[in-house]
Amino acid sequence: MSVVFDGSPLKATQSSQSHTAQTQTGLSSQELSQEIKSFISGVDAAQGRKLSVREHARCAVRLLRSVPACREVVLEHLRGVYNEHVSAFLHSLETDGSSSSGGSSNLEDIIQEVHGVLSEFIGLNPRAWAPLVSAWAVDLLGQLSSKHAERRVAPHASSLNELLQLWMSCAATRSLMEAYSQCLAAMLAWCPDACVDALLDTSVKHSPHFDWVVAHIGSAFPGTIISRVLACGLKDYCSHGAKDQGLLGDKGSRVPKIGSVVGILGHLAAHHSESIRKELLRMFQESLTPSATLSSASSSASWESSPQLRRAAVPFLLQLAAMSPNLFGAVSAELVELLRPPVLLQLQALLQGLPREELDNLLGLAVHLISQSPSGGARVLRFLADTATPASVIISGPTPSPHEGVREGCDRLLQTLLLHLHKLVFNRSDGAEVSLLNPSSSQTQRVIPFLEELRSHVGQLCAETLRLERKRHLWLHQLLCLLSVYGGPSVATETLCQLLTQARNPEELALAWQLHTTLSSCMVGLIPAAVAHCVAQIHTHTLGPRQLRQLLLNLAAAIQSRDEEKGGAAGAQSSMAVQVGSAVSGHLHDFCSLLLHGDTAVSHAAVRLLSCSPLPRTSPPAHLLLLSRAAVTHFFLVLRRRGETGNVGRDGGQAAESVSCSVLLLSRLAAYSPLTLKAILQQLVEGALHRGNAHLFGGQIADMSGAPISSPSVSPDLGASLLDINCRFGTTVNFSGSIWSVFHGGVIGKGLKVRTDAQLLDPSVVTQNIQTLLAVIVQCCSSSGLNASRSPSDPDDPLPINAEAAKVVAVTLVENVCPDVANGELSWPPEEHARTTVERDIHIRRCFEAHPVLFPLLQVVAAGRPALCYCSAALRGLLATLLAHWEASREAAATDSPWHLQASCLLVCCMGEGQLLPPVLANVHEAFHLLTPFEVRLLLLAVWEYVRGNAPLPQKFAFSSEKGLFCRDFSRDGDVARYVAPIHSVLHKNIDRLGHLCWRFQL
Amino acid sequence: MGDIRQSLLPRDVLSAAKELLYHLDIYICNLVQSGRQPPQVDAKTLELVEEFILHAPKDRNAPARKMSALQELQLLEIMCSCFQEQSRDTVRQLMFSALFHIQGNQADESRMVLLGKLVSMAVAVGRVPILECAATWLQRTHRVYCVRLAQVLVDDYCSMVPGSVPTLQNIHSMSPRFCCQFITAVSTLYDLSSELVPPLELLQMIVSWIQEDPRLVLITFLNTPLSGSQPISSLDVTPLGSLVRWCVKAPLAYRNEKKQVLANRSADSEPDPRPLFSALHLSVLQVFMLLPNVLNEKGLFGRLALLQMESVAALTSDLSRLLDQADKHAHTSAAGAQVPPQLALDRLAQALQVAMASGALLCSREDLRPICSRLPHNNLLQLVLSGPVMYYNNIHTPPLAYSPHAAHSPIASHAPLPTRSPHTPLTSHAQYPAQPFMSGMPFAFRPGH
Repeated sequence: MSVVFDGSPLKATQSSQSHTAQTQTGLSSQELSQEIKSFISGVDAAQGRKLSVREHARCAVRLLRSVPACREVVLEHLRGVYNEHVSAFLHSLETDGSSSSGGSSNLEDIIQEVHGVLSEFIGLNPRAWAPLVSAWAVDLLGQLSSKHAERRVAPHASSLNELLQLWMSCAATRSLMEAYSQCLAAMLAWCPDACVDALLDTSVKHSPHFDWVVAHIGSAFPGTIISRVLACGLKDYCSHGAKDQGLLGDKGSRVPKIGSVVGILGHLAAHHSESIRKELLRMFQESLTPSATLSSASSSASWESSPQLRRAAVPFLLQLAAMSPNLFGAVSAELVELLRPPVLLQLQALLQGLPREELDNLLGLAVHLISQSPSGGARVLRFLADTATPASVIISGPTPSPHEGVREGCDRLLQTLLLHLHKLVFNRSDGAEVSLLNPSSSQTQRVIPFLEELRSHVGQLCAETLRLERKRHLWLHQLLCLLSVYGGPSVATETLCQLLTQARNPEELALAWQLHTTLSSCMVGLIPAAVAHCVAQIHTHTLGPRQLRQLLLNLAAAIQSRDEEKGGAAGAQSSMAVQVGSAVSGHLHDFCSLLLHGDTAVSHAAVRLLSCSPLPRTSPPAHLLLLSRAAVTHFFLVLRRRGETGNVGRDGGQAAESVSCSVLLLSRLAAYSPLTLKAILQQLVEGALHRGNAHLFGGQIADMSGAPISSPSVSPDLGASLLDINCRFGTTVNFSGSIWSVFHGGVIGKGLKVRTDAQLLDPSVVTQNIQTLLAVIVQCCSSSGLNASRSPSDPDDPLPINAEAAKVVAVTLVENVCPDVANGELSWPPEEHARTTVERDIHIRRCFEAHPVLFPLLQVVAAGRPALCYCSAALRGLLATLLAHWEASREAAATDSPWHLQASCLLVCCMGEGQLLPPVLANVHEAFHLLTPFEVRLLLLAVWEYVRGNAPLPQKFAFSSEKGLFCRDFSRDGDVARYVAPIHSVLHKNIDRLGHLCWRFQL
Repeated sequence: MGDIRQSLLPRDVLSAAKELLYHLDIYICNLVQSGRQPPQVDAKTLELVEEFILHAPKDRNAPARKMSALQELQLLEIMCSCFQEQSRDTVRQLMFSALFHIQGNQADESRMVLLGKLVSMAVAVGRVPILECAATWLQRTHRVYCVRLAQVLVDDYCSMVPGSVPTLQNIHSMSPRFCCQFITAVSTLYDLSSELVPPLELLQMIVSWIQEDPRLVLITFLNTPLSGSQPISSLDVTPLGSLVRWCVKAPLAYRNEKKQVLANRSADSEPDPRPLFSALHLSVLQVFMLLPNVLNEKGLFGRLALLQMESVAALTSDLSRLLDQADKHAHTSAAGAQVPPQLALDRLAQALQVAMASGALLCSREDLRPICSRLPHNNLLQLVLSGPVMYYNNIHTPPLAYSPHAAHSPIASHAPLPTRSPHTPLTSHAQYPAQPFMSGMPFAFRPGH
């Protein structure tokens, strides 16, 4: 038979190997036993002297190499050597390296040697050595670092970097660290749990002095360490169960492990927060993935494969987060993103398996976490609210879908959160009350990070609340209340202000009042503060036009609600309306600038607010003037707008409403004080005659200077060029009023110069505008504060025009119509003297021509006797030009000069109304249209003569108390008869046509 | 002896242990001198050993005393010298068994740890008496503990400390008996299944030992009077069975192994183990060839099966399973895949043939046929099983009584045999007829990692 044998070179290799091995070991068994003896006794067996530390260590290394049974004792001994070295090292640091540097360097080489041997062993057989050495190294590191933590040179445990630097500069600890890293690198392949477990245990034992090790190892192996640390923590957590821990879990023996997990991750968070976050989130996600879908590829050792561990993962993560704000902060932001509906379903499925009390614990924990979360609170809140809001009544059927469970869970969470916050907030404010006695303790007020963070999201919260979605707005409203109470007046003000700005209808606005009602119990002066805040926002232009408009409208609505609810039971609301009103009245001058806001909607809202707002009890004149100026300007603006938009559409309606509001505002302002009355009347009149507004009232801008009108579209910037001005004829020197009179009717050969190119408005609009203006003026004049004490005897009667007010109008009229004050005296000169004032008179006439509104104004003035006296100059000028016209007219009938005829009629009529003329003379205008121009002149001349003879002086008027008016007693003046003669002559001449008027001219 | 406990209690751990050792020595000397048969250490003393040397927790509330590593080393050193200095073999044996005999209580764990360290250290510093004692211990102890001890040594010398293999190699010259038991234990431990493959250094060492002195594997068998004290579940008397298993299974086991090796490393440093197994196979066959003479000398030829039928059966079923697996893989692999299975079958055939011929395996071809029926075809095996002439090279006719059926009723089969020796080892031996070889079962002492 043949033996299968193919190993012929075997013997050779065998013998050679054994040979080399013999030489390598080098020690006979005899010598080895000697070595052991000397190692044990510490005495050189051959020479009988004591071994130095170094020799002893060498001996240990030799044993390590040759006697396997001695490895534990050798490692034990080496602990001492390392300790020795660390002591020497620290000592040399303490003595500035002067004394014992030799000793430490002596040991340094032996440490190098040991390190070399160990790393050689680990390299050759990691499976055998790595667990041994890693456990040893970690334990020794722990011992060394906590033992020497009290040394003077050792930095405090909290300064991790210094600690790291110190220990890494020490040969012993560095070598241990390297050895451990080597082991870890080797072990990660097959049993990473064991070494991380050891690390954790040691960390627990020697914390915080050991932290630098963990930090170093962690930064060397971030990925593995983080996931391993988490896995270890989870296992530990799971094996101990969550039953013996309270909300914060700071009792019991099990906490240190999770504590050290937190500690380690906390250290790593500085540099590896990204990977930590990833790991945490991965853990969360994988704990939810159903085990069926888990690939079998994941190793059996990992935690994912154990359903129990997977179930514990979520509570564990919550617990971790509760213990470390860092970790929580890292995760919370993305966690919310992860919670998509499928994930939520999985989560629900997972949590359903938990017992009730554990769920309650988790709920409490989650609520605690949310309330303590320093960032991302808004997102969490949105998420919770989104998820907890029921989809729709129609969709959710009688059978609860799985989503229903999730929704209920979120609902419950949210409710609990609110309750928790409520407790926190109100307990806290109790504390605050106590702290009033002791101001120093006010810092002890508990900060609630969640609310703290939401403070900056008040605007969004308000917006969401105002959406009035079912349930959601209740939660959010509650939260806003809490937030306001928490944040104190500033937040409350802000919130209220936001609500006021964002509410778009009464229902939404009601939320603001609900909030106020809730808060008013613990805060005073909320509404004034809120209004002040709004005003501040207006000033800083932080609000857009829409918001601004909404705010103003809301304020107006608030104020108006008082009027509506008057007598109603809504006491709270009306009291609030009063508060709002008084608050707004304090800021009228701030709001008035909004009247002129570029956005029509805003100015509309502003006028609404101002028109319904009460006026302040006292106010500085500057504010009042500002207000009245703005109001008047706004008045003209809205008139113009009304003209532009017409009465159709929403804009038209708005414009019309604006006008009425504006009228109301003006009249109320005018009634407020003499000052405002004067200012308003003055400005109204000026405004009506202003170039820009003239066309509103059918006016045509007369070119007084005689310069050709440049088309505004060509040169919108007026008078920019001096050369241009100088080229104009007659503008360099103003001749008016002097003996020089220059008329510039146009360039010869080109005909009269073009009078105007202003577009004319629709006559009906003009009429409406004039009506409005007159209504305002009349209202101002009649309701003025000057005679406010006097109430009308008959409420149906319109109040009489106040004389003072009319005087203001009159004076203003004269100021605007008459170009200078020369010849401004009230009494009239002889008619011939009019020649000296031809230029002025022409100016006046042109004014009347250009501004049809002047006549109605005159009528108003006339009604407020004796104010028309003050218009004497203007009347005289107009009459003079009319006389000149009729004298020069070669027309057949007065009706051929319609304007002049009308002007004459109106003039005489006004003078009659103003009692500048006795009734006989005042009636002459009734005949004008039937007469020839010359006859009209005759009659007007008679008028002139009468006025010259009986000067129109206010003194001649006396207040008649039964009429409530000033009246002139014509009987005191001279005989009227001599002025009536030309009238009678004209009557006679045209008796065929004027017969029916004769009775009007009887004395 | 029990009364010294009070005096030991206040001592520190090491001196208490030392003192106990000292007292134990005296006690055992007295015991031996008193001539009582059999000399037996009483239970109280054993308890003291457990308390003060092994530091087994006496009761729950008393904190277990524990020695530091240095103290332990000192204790080991003292033990070493204690055994070294004790001149009387009996006393040594008694003392060793007092210390380390497995008692089946909770102290066994620390007992095994201490024993492992002691033997490992004895190997290192060459304490022959301890090795001798350990050899005896290995004969008497349940095989689970034996392989644990072997494991400790293999770990220590073959994997932990590089370059210390020669030290272990020395045990051959120091204590052949221990060496033989060590081989038995190791070959039992590593059954060449997936994880339990012997380290290469160990393999080289064993091959070189047996090559140098084939009789080494028989030393225990030769030195042991089959005195009836073969306890239950102890190791086999010789490692022959497990070595045959090694050789037969190696081509298949290492074929799998080789793939992994090739995948893992570049296979440069690692020498090929297959030549080693070839050499081992040759040596084992040579040992078989020695057997007839040895057996004849002891007068046991044909009466004692050094290679048991059950282990052969287990081996063949194991082999057929492995071959099935190999077949599955062979579908995909190259044509050369048939070489290892054939080699394995060749070796099996050779071993069976030689074992039967040398009287180590007591059975007929007919007995073998059913056992080998499931194996695939192999020319040599076919030849062995159906050989025209069963060739015996000695004068005895094979006893027909040794049929597989008879093996189940050994008393019946042994009874009619003429007993030539005055003592009755065979009957007592036959009370423990065959160690069921549990290769198909999970291996109880598989290493923990």
